[in-house]
Amino acid sequence: MTNPAGAARTGLGPAVPAFALLLLFFVVPVVMLLLRSVTEPEFGLQNYAALFGSGTYARVLFNTFLVAALVTVFTLVLAFPVAWFMTVLPGRWATIVFAIVLLSMWTNLLARTYAWLVLLQRTGVINKTLISLGVIDQPLPLVNNLTGVTIGMVYIMLPFMILPLHATLRTIDPAILRAAALCGANRWQAFRRVLVPLVMPGIMAGGLMVFVMSLGYFVTPALLGGTSNMMLAQLIAQLVQSLLNWGLGGAAAFVLLVVTLAIYALQIRLLDTRRLATQGAV
Amino acid sequence: MLLDFDRLGGFRWVLVGLTALVALFLLLPIVFIAALSFGSSQWLVFPPPSWTTRWYGELLADPRWLAAAWTSAKVAFATMILAVLLGLLCSFALVRGRFRGREVLRAFFLTPMVLPVIVFAVAIYAFFLRVGLNGTFVGFVIAHTILALPFAVISISNALEGFDKSIEDAAILCGAHPLEAKLRITLPAIRLGIFAAAIFSFLISWDEVVVAIFMASPTLQTLPVRIWGTLRQDLTPVIAAASTLLVAFTIALMLLAALTRRIFAR
Repeated sequence: MTNPAGAARTGLGPAVPAFALLLLFFVVPVVMLLLRSVTEPEFGLQNYAALFGSGTYARVLFNTFLVAALVTVFTLVLAFPVAWFMTVLPGRWATIVFAIVLLSMWTNLLARTYAWLVLLQRTGVINKTLISLGVIDQPLPLVNNLTGVTIGMVYIMLPFMILPLHATLRTIDPAILRAAALCGANRWQAFRRVLVPLVMPGIMAGGLMVFVMSLGYFVTPALLGGTSNMMLAQLIAQLVQSLLNWGLGGAAAFVLLVVTLAIYALQIRLLDTRRLATQGAV
Repeated sequence: MLLDFDRLGGFRWVLVGLTALVALFLLLPIVFIAALSFGSSQWLVFPPPSWTTRWYGELLADPRWLAAAWTSAKVAFATMILAVLLGLLCSFALVRGRFRGREVLRAFFLTPMVLPVIVFAVAIYAFFLRVGLNGTFVGFVIAHTILALPFAVISISNALEGFDKSIEDAAILCGAHPLEAKLRITLPAIRLGIFAAAIFSFLISWDEVVVAIFMASPTLQTLPVRIWGTLRQDLTPVIAAASTLLVAFTIALMLLAALTRRIFAR
C-alpha cells in the first residue's frame, strides 16, 4: 500500500496477512491431521488397511457414495424444470421463484433440517396427511433412514443445482431451437439432441458440485439419518470425538479429501475442455 | 421452440406445474416452522390446537439462548471485519499483482471453500487442543474467518477487476498520495463488492455449525451450537421459535442488502 514510486507496482505484499493466516490455521492443522493417520498408533499404513479392510467401514464408504449419487440425480430432475421455467418466463414470475430459491438457500441450515425432522417423523404432518387421505394404513418410516437423509439433502442442494442450470440455459439462443424445429426435429428430438447437449456444461457444473458437497456433508445426515446408514463425515466425527481414534479419523478424512479434490480437478478439466471446444468452434 | 414460452404448447403447463411444486417444496419447511413456533402444542401437533407466543417467551427468558445469540453476533461481526480486511488486501495482490504463481495463489485462497468442512473442523479442533484455543472467542473468529475468506476474496476481486485502474492512476498524477487515491477513489468504486463480502462473511459465521460444534465449550457456544445441542435432546417448539427468528433475521439482512445495493448503485 505504501509505495512511494506510485501505485503502478503491486506485488505479493498485500496478500501476506491472509496467506499467513491460512498457512498457520488451515494448512498446518490439516497436514498435522493427515500425518496422524500414518503415525498413530505407530508409523505405517495400518489405519488405511483397517479402513478399507473392515466390512463396517466399507459400508460407510458405499453408503456415502450412494447418498451422494441419489441426491445428485433427484436434485437434477427437480432443478431442471425450475431453471427452464425461469429461462422461458423471465420477469415477475421468474423473480418470485428466484427469491424463493435464495430464501431457502440462506435460511439457517439447522432450521431447515429441524423442519424436516418434524415433518417426516412418525406422527408428523406428512404421515398424517397420507393416512387421512387413505394412501397408507401405517405411518411410513421417513426419518432416521436413507429416505430421510435423501429428502433433507435434496432440499438443501436444490439451489446449488438450479442456479448453475439457469445460468447456462440463459446463454442459449432460442433461435437454435427454432432452427432445430424448422429442420424437422420434433420436441423430444430437439430436447434430447439440441437442448440437453447445450445445457451439459451447467449439468456437469451443478451435478459435480452437488455430488461433492453431498459426499462430505455432516449436519443433515447426522440428524435425519439412522445408525445403519452412517456417512463418511459422521464416521470421522465419531472416530475423533467419541472414540478418540485420531489415526483412523485422520485416514478417513484423508480419503474424503482425496476424493473431493479429485472430483474438483475433474470438473476444472471438463469445463476447460468445453471452453476450448466452444472457442475452437466460434 | 423449446425456449419460447408461447411455442411450448401444452407442455408449458407441465413446466409451470413442476416449478410450482418445487417452489412449494422449497417454501414448505420455512412456512411450516413459522406456523409451529406459534402453535400451542408441546408435541408439535399440526395444525396446532390453538395459537400462542409462549415459546418466544421461553426463548427470550432463557439466559443461555440469549448468551448464545450474543456470542454468535460478536463472533460474526469480528469475522466480518477480519475477512473483509484480509480479503481486500488479498484482492489487490491477486488482481493487480504481477508475479509468478498468481493463479496458484488464487486457487490456494479458495481451497477452504472446496475442502469438506468436516475435515477442517476436525483438523482445527485437534490443533486448537494443543494451543488451547478451543472454546475461546479468538478461536471461533479465526476458524470462521478462514471459512469466510474465500467468499470475501471472490466478491472483492470481482469488483476490483471491473474497476478501471487508470482512474486511480489519474488521481495520483493529480497529486494524490497512492494510499489516498486507493481510499478515496478505488474503495468507494468497489463498495458494492465490499458490501457483498461483508454480508457473506457475517452470514457464513452466523450460520456455521460444524466447526462450532467441535470448538464450543459449555460456557461459550454460538446459537447454532445451542440449537444443535437442544435438537439432539428433544424437538421442543422453542427451537421452532429460535429458527423462525433466524429466518426473519436472514430475510431482513437480504432485504437490507437489496435495498443498499439499489441506493449504492445510483
